[in-house]
Amino acid sequence: MSTPAIKSQPVYAELEWDRAGTHHILFVAAEDAALAQRLLSNPPAGTITLIHLGSTSAEARSCWSQGLPDSALYLETHSLAEALEVLRDALYVAQMGTRIYLAGPEDAVWQASRVADGFGVGRDEVRYAQLGSKARPVFCVHCRTITRGVHTNIVSCSGCGRSLFVRDHFSRRLGAYMGFQIDAEVPGEVPAAEVVYP
Amino acid sequence: MSSASLNVEIRRIRELAPGIREFSLSRTDGEDFPVYSGGSHIVLSLPLGDRPHRNPYSLLGDPTVRDTWRVAVRKQEESRGGSRWLHEQAREGMRIDISAPVNLFPLIRTGRRHILVAGGIGITPILSQARELARLGADFEVHYAYRGPEYGVFSDELEALAPGRVHHYVQSRREQIEFGSLLAGRPLGTHFYICGPAGMVAASMNAGKSLGWPESHLHSEQFLAPTGGEPFDVKLALSGKAFTVPSDLSLLEAIEQQGVDAPYLCRGGACGQCELEVLGAEGELIHHDLYLSADERASGKKIMPCVSRLKGGCLTLNL
Repeated sequence: MSTPAIKSQPVYAELEWDRAGTHHILFVAAEDAALAQRLLSNPPAGTITLIHLGSTSAEARSCWSQGLPDSALYLETHSLAEALEVLRDALYVAQMGTRIYLAGPEDAVWQASRVADGFGVGRDEVRYAQLGSKARPVFCVHCRTITRGVHTNIVSCSGCGRSLFVRDHFSRRLGAYMGFQIDAEVPGEVPAAEVVYP
Repeated sequence: MSSASLNVEIRRIRELAPGIREFSLSRTDGEDFPVYSGGSHIVLSLPLGDRPHRNPYSLLGDPTVRDTWRVAVRKQEESRGGSRWLHEQAREGMRIDISAPVNLFPLIRTGRRHILVAGGIGITPILSQARELARLGADFEVHYAYRGPEYGVFSDELEALAPGRVHHYVQSRREQIEFGSLLAGRPLGTHFYICGPAGMVAASMNAGKSLGWPESHLHSEQFLAPTGGEPFDVKLALSGKAFTVPSDLSLLEAIEQQGVDAPYLCRGGACGQCELEVLGAEGELIHHDLYLSADERASGKKIMPCVSRLKGGCLTLNL
């Protein structure tokens, strides 16, 4: 478990099934063979729907499709937009008793979380896991554009071009970290960016 | 006193059913009441001789009606005087003090559907919640259970609010809410609210949990009346007082009678506001509240003085 530098930064507990649930929707946007094996070798009672965001290349079957119980529904998708649409459809027909598991890079996880919010689910119905890339979605406080896939501590805003410092302050509603202009006091004085979110 | 009080006049008393009276209240200073949210309650201060007697009652009227508030009171057979006073002594034109509204039973506005369940006089907060949901245009339904046809006292108001969405269960006709089927197969984002007798609330919560409903979607409200009990001694460590709690007063009432300002809100074991730290207890703490967790009870360090007592010798509190 990571230690948050700031209160708003999400802390991700080890992903476990919530066995009080009667239906389980697993949204996974990264490969993690060890986690897949651990979860799927000891599945909960009730039905499972697994929405998988795979790479576009026709690689071997995902680790998530192996060892799934026969009763599980496996839905393969090839873009985040498609995966979120499939999640929306699954939640639309879901009933009380459903538990939702969102696993992957933070950008995908928190966009999926917003979809779930739209269905009125509570904090105790959703579990999160950070897998794969640590790249951050960064919300520009000046022009409100979200720049995605940021690996560095300073990034050029994709909306207004300002050099943004990437803070640890995180918004669950926006699903993004806060970025603000680093050279507002002395224009042009921008330190070299370092890769800190691999 | 914990919250600001308002002086009101009893403008109108209606007999709704055997043992159920409705009171309409207006401010004596002629001002409007504040707006409240569905599920709110107020605490009535009742003039029962020399001792303070305060009972919580849910507001059941339309929150947008600012000149009149309404509460309904069922006469409790085991009454220590509060509901009996309201049924036997209260007259139109009398003045009493009430607290500002507090809501321990609010609607969850992000819900996609709302199931409201009332048992008997538990209809009162459900009625104001139904009004709020109707005004919001939300998707909701009401399930109203009562002893006999004459006890369905707010059926007409409910039907007017939610035509076709009110389901009646009359006990004398052997009709009963089957919570397992009521809660099964509900869409994601549904919220459940119940106010009624303890057994009914427990049955619904158990049904919900066994169907996988998370706690954040199961809402209930119950107010307990202090039951009285054996007298016991109390020492207040900070104010230096020592006294005996008689059998017909709650611990909170006895503290107030000593002139010590203790916090409180609901006075019914529900809200947790009156929690006091126990420094020592010679005897067994008798917890009646709905607030403390099993671990907190086991620790023996906390007590809710509005409904709980000590059986045995002396209780020392950090107050």
